[in-house]
Amino acid sequence: MRKVAIYGKGGIGKSTTTQNTVAALAEMGKKVMVVGCDPKADSTRLLLGGLAQRTVLDTLRDEGEEVDLDDIRRIGFGNTYCTESGGPEPGVGCAGRGIITSINLLEQLGAYKESIGLDYVFYDVLGDVVCGGFAMPIREGKAQEIYIVCSGEMMAMYAANNICKGIVKFANAGGVRLGGIICNSRKVDNEREMIEELARQLGTQMIHFVPRDNDVQRAEINRKTVIHWKPTCPQADEYRNLAKAMDANRMFVIPKPLEMSALEKLLMDFGLAEELGQDADATPAEIDLAAATPANTLACD
Amino acid sequence: MTDILHERERQVYRKGAEPFQIDCEKQSAAGSVSQRACVFCGSRVVLYPIADALHVVHGPIGCASYTWDIRGARSSGPQLHRLSFSTDLQEMDVIRGGEKKLFAALCELIDAHHPKAAFVYATCIAGIIGDDVNAICKQASEAKGIPVLPVHSEGFKGTKKDGYRAACEALFQLIGTASTEGIVPTSVNILGDFNLAGEIWMIREYFERMGIEVVACITGDGRVDDIRRAHGAALNLVQCSGSMMYLAKSMKERWGTPFLRVSYFGIEDMAQALYDTARFFKDSEIMRRTQELVHLEIDKVMPQINEYRRDVRGKKAGIYVGGAFKAFSLVRALRLLDMKTVLVGSQTGSREDYDQLRELCDEGTIIVDDSNPLELAGFLQEKEVDLFIGGVKERPIAYKLGVGFCDHNHERKEALAGFAGMVNFAREVHSTMMSPVWQFTSRRRKEMAV
Repeated sequence: MRKVAIYGKGGIGKSTTTQNTVAALAEMGKKVMVVGCDPKADSTRLLLGGLAQRTVLDTLRDEGEEVDLDDIRRIGFGNTYCTESGGPEPGVGCAGRGIITSINLLEQLGAYKESIGLDYVFYDVLGDVVCGGFAMPIREGKAQEIYIVCSGEMMAMYAANNICKGIVKFANAGGVRLGGIICNSRKVDNEREMIEELARQLGTQMIHFVPRDNDVQRAEINRKTVIHWKPTCPQADEYRNLAKAMDANRMFVIPKPLEMSALEKLLMDFGLAEELGQDADATPAEIDLAAATPANTLACD
Repeated sequence: MTDILHERERQVYRKGAEPFQIDCEKQSAAGSVSQRACVFCGSRVVLYPIADALHVVHGPIGCASYTWDIRGARSSGPQLHRLSFSTDLQEMDVIRGGEKKLFAALCELIDAHHPKAAFVYATCIAGIIGDDVNAICKQASEAKGIPVLPVHSEGFKGTKKDGYRAACEALFQLIGTASTEGIVPTSVNILGDFNLAGEIWMIREYFERMGIEVVACITGDGRVDDIRRAHGAALNLVQCSGSMMYLAKSMKERWGTPFLRVSYFGIEDMAQALYDTARFFKDSEIMRRTQELVHLEIDKVMPQINEYRRDVRGKKAGIYVGGAFKAFSLVRALRLLDMKTVLVGSQTGSREDYDQLRELCDEGTIIVDDSNPLELAGFLQEKEVDLFIGGVKERPIAYKLGVGFCDHNHERKEALAGFAGMVNFAREVHSTMMSPVWQFTSRRRKEMAV
């Protein structure tokens, strides 16, 4: 069983990307469970067709200790298992502790037991790792691989770099590794090249470039993943390709976070290339992707 | 010589060493198991003797249970303070926030007990999850029509002294909220006596005999309505200076109330406190009554004290207490019994306090700030102490070493303040020292074998 955690800046499309990719993996015949680790509890909406999911923490509050796995786990598209941690209403309590409590409960209830035959567990985590609780999914014995959803927008890249700093800490203490960056396009200039270069400098790879397509939006309005809503559309294939790339991925690294100045330079080189009067194509062309294989690449399995 | 952590070497001074230097008023060294309590505990011990107030501990149950009725603080009326109320925050409360639970608890408790005011103690966990304790207190106060005061005593904020300060800040919210009509010009507040074993009744009676009105006792046998009009008193008498100096200074700033530092332990200090107060009011009648009172009381107790002194003369004592001001009194009280103080320390003393202690003590006396059990055990052995005076955390150190112990902290049930208290103290020292049990401890057996 592979345990995967998806991180990234708030609003970047983590939940959408996760669910669409999970749908593609399910289509490939993989048995997948999604654990939503966001107090908003909106990580499984598309897989469940908009079904209001009773969260682990609500159930725990209402039922006390007498919680059953079936109380907190629903079956979604492609026989995926869907659970939502849930959490307090905004502005009160400790959402981080909520994540810890619900992941512990899932373990106690045997949600990861071998007999269930899971191929994948996906943790979809709140955008900003604001406290220890939100790092729970990447602690020792939890997720072993992380993908960061990112776009060519500065703050998204800044967040991705920050998340890498967190990964370094947990990679040294436990066994978690970065599997790659998923570029969820915002149609920024030179976006693909810029994220490829960011990935290279971080010592990882851009595992897939997901183009911007309104079909994603349309599927969401229909409370479905793209693959479920229109299996034949081009965007569905993008998610299939991402799922395949993940399934075949063997590149798991401890990232090398960038200094702020290096990150700014990257943006200057790519984003503002034209304004600065340079040949917009020159900089990306200079990148030697063949030499980008990081030294600290670790073989999986 | 006793082993002392490198970081703590400058917090131990031996009288005679020159130049005099001692580090104090700093955070406890990591690795040193300080005898200090936490911030919350500091707030709780200061406020809880207010008998007609509700005391609600907003946190996990342990905070409330370990400080339940922590002093022997007695009340002449209501006993509400002796109950320990807690919101008992559990895992789901931590996750979802404890604000609603706190509000519900306050409403339920205020309806059930009709207190004059409520104190809400914020503990570590309330601080970490960010419960808006101020807002809930305000809501509860509006809903129930009594003052509901937040006490910001999150344990991680610092030391016990920060807890004293948080308590003083809560008290300061209360003072000045009632009319001072009818308070006479010769009036005082008693700050920093907690009415252990009824001591404040004794002190209060002395002042009344002198013709001085006591407006508020803060906080021993304390009442909310008295505290609300405490700003009407002409003078503040501050005993436990560690805990109450902040309040005295705040009151001086806001209402111009002057204050005097006093101590009611030992004959000398007790008399001094009464004379200083009498002198403040510049009233010959009061002074005459004070002289009369002091003479009468001393005549009453001296014969008995003299009897005890014969037996304990020359014995060596060690002292380790919370505030240094109490240590001064104890050194003097022991001297009255012809005993030698060879070790004296406090948890929260200031540079001036230790300077004064140095002047008071004999050559070779160890003076220590923020000590720990290993050091104290070492000092007791090194100085061959016969009697150790301290609180609940020092008791086992003494007993394990076969050293006599006398409780002079807030857990005790015997009145040691005032003139009568000095007799009690002498009796306690005497009965401890004279107990035949010490001859069976390994320490004495070894001595006998030699």
